[in-house]
Amino acid sequence: MYSAHYHLLLNHWPIIGTFTVLCLFVSALVANNDSLKQASLALFFLIALLAIPAYMSGNSAQEFLKETPEASMDRIQTHQGSALFALVFMEITGMISLIGLWQYSLGKKSEVHRPAGWNLTAVLLMAILTFGLMSITGTTGGEIRHPEIISNDEAPSSVGAAGVRILPGIQYFVTQSSRYIWGLLETLHFIGLILILASIGLLNLRLLGFFRKLPVAPLHRLLPWGIAGVFINVITGMLFFVSMPEFYSNNPDFQLKMVAIVIAGTNLMLFYCTSVFRPLALIGPGDDAPAYAKIVAASSLFLWIAIIVLGRYMPFWEVAK
Amino acid sequence: MSIPLILKAVEESGVSVWIRESPSLFAYWFFLTWHALGMGMAVGASVVIDFRILGIARDLPLAPLKSLYKIIWAGFWIQVVSGILLLIAYPTKAAMNPDFYIKLTLIGIAVAVMRMIHKRVFKDSSLTDPVMMSRGRTLAILSLILWVGVVTAGRLLAYTYTVINYSG
Repeated sequence: MYSAHYHLLLNHWPIIGTFTVLCLFVSALVANNDSLKQASLALFFLIALLAIPAYMSGNSAQEFLKETPEASMDRIQTHQGSALFALVFMEITGMISLIGLWQYSLGKKSEVHRPAGWNLTAVLLMAILTFGLMSITGTTGGEIRHPEIISNDEAPSSVGAAGVRILPGIQYFVTQSSRYIWGLLETLHFIGLILILASIGLLNLRLLGFFRKLPVAPLHRLLPWGIAGVFINVITGMLFFVSMPEFYSNNPDFQLKMVAIVIAGTNLMLFYCTSVFRPLALIGPGDDAPAYAKIVAASSLFLWIAIIVLGRYMPFWEVAK
Repeated sequence: MSIPLILKAVEESGVSVWIRESPSLFAYWFFLTWHALGMGMAVGASVVIDFRILGIARDLPLAPLKSLYKIIWAGFWIQVVSGILLLIAYPTKAAMNPDFYIKLTLIGIAVAVMRMIHKRVFKDSSLTDPVMMSRGRTLAILSLILWVGVVTAGRLLAYTYTVINYSG
């Protein structure tokens, strides 16, 4: 399987997924059904996770199509330009969704704890915008290999064109505008890492049986700081990638890190931001967590540390080549 | 500016050459990875203490957070050991960069502030949470600023050096 193959495997999920989940979310809002709302929020976050490797595998696909004369580079760039916008909006949608889902998870027993009023409105707004951008991305992407869908009088996508213009600007800003910018973005990436360890890491250590004097519920309330850390790192990580895609695309260490992020993110969403966590929030000072919670906590801790280790080793593979 | 001869001696030592040039997974990048993990431990645990003193997650009892100092110190010693090994690998690169001394100074002050928080906030176990909070407030703000400074100065070391080794 070529690494370009991953693009084909992944790229339909964010496009069809955003549309499907948006329909589900609107139905949930109309019916005022909290379970469906939570399902929609969970799915939005999952799509946001999958959209990361979907975007990044696009560069491998582009690399491959360079030798294919019938695929026009202009069309590929227009597709990439709109994909960049779609990705940014998808990540914002995903993060707000995760915060909303986490707010739902705060309730005790069967009582429903509703998220803050702004949350669901923001998710709806961002999801509609994301859906629009995803459709453009899908259309422009399809046009690369399917000339039969291109109509003659059709103007090329203005969103894609805007993305094409913005991308070199980002690349210039990150890599050339000043020697400090890359380093300062790395600093932010490390601050994100610290927030992840301080919130998700400490909660996991408590569930594993360390710091037993601490009750679990207040540590669970620190999770938005960890989610903020994840968000900072997704944004700064994307800036690194789009500025030097050739450095990352074919790096096995980077590919493994992306896989680990998708798994760790899913773990974070499923076990820490849904009602699955409710019985664990009742664990008071001195109490021990059940065995299944320890297994989840150990996996979560292992995954986040693996992501740090893989990130730190990334240049090693370049040097070793 | 002339480069002190001692840096040349360190740089030509077997340990330095091995860390710097070994293709092993367990040489330079291994220590650099530990340096990131140690940072996560020392700064991450400090941040939790600072946040709580400043009123975030108020229902978290403050006194038991004293045991987080174990993580801070474990992280600190990981940083000392991995940091010295990284310094042995590239002594000239670090020693000739003013940023390196800024980083060391900030670390010194940050660690001193964490010790002061330990003394003022956690030592007397009879204090109530609100009293602990008001005693630690200024120090906690200071600590957060200092740790951001340490991480920034540390990260910028990789982007601000003027000479990478003794020969230039």
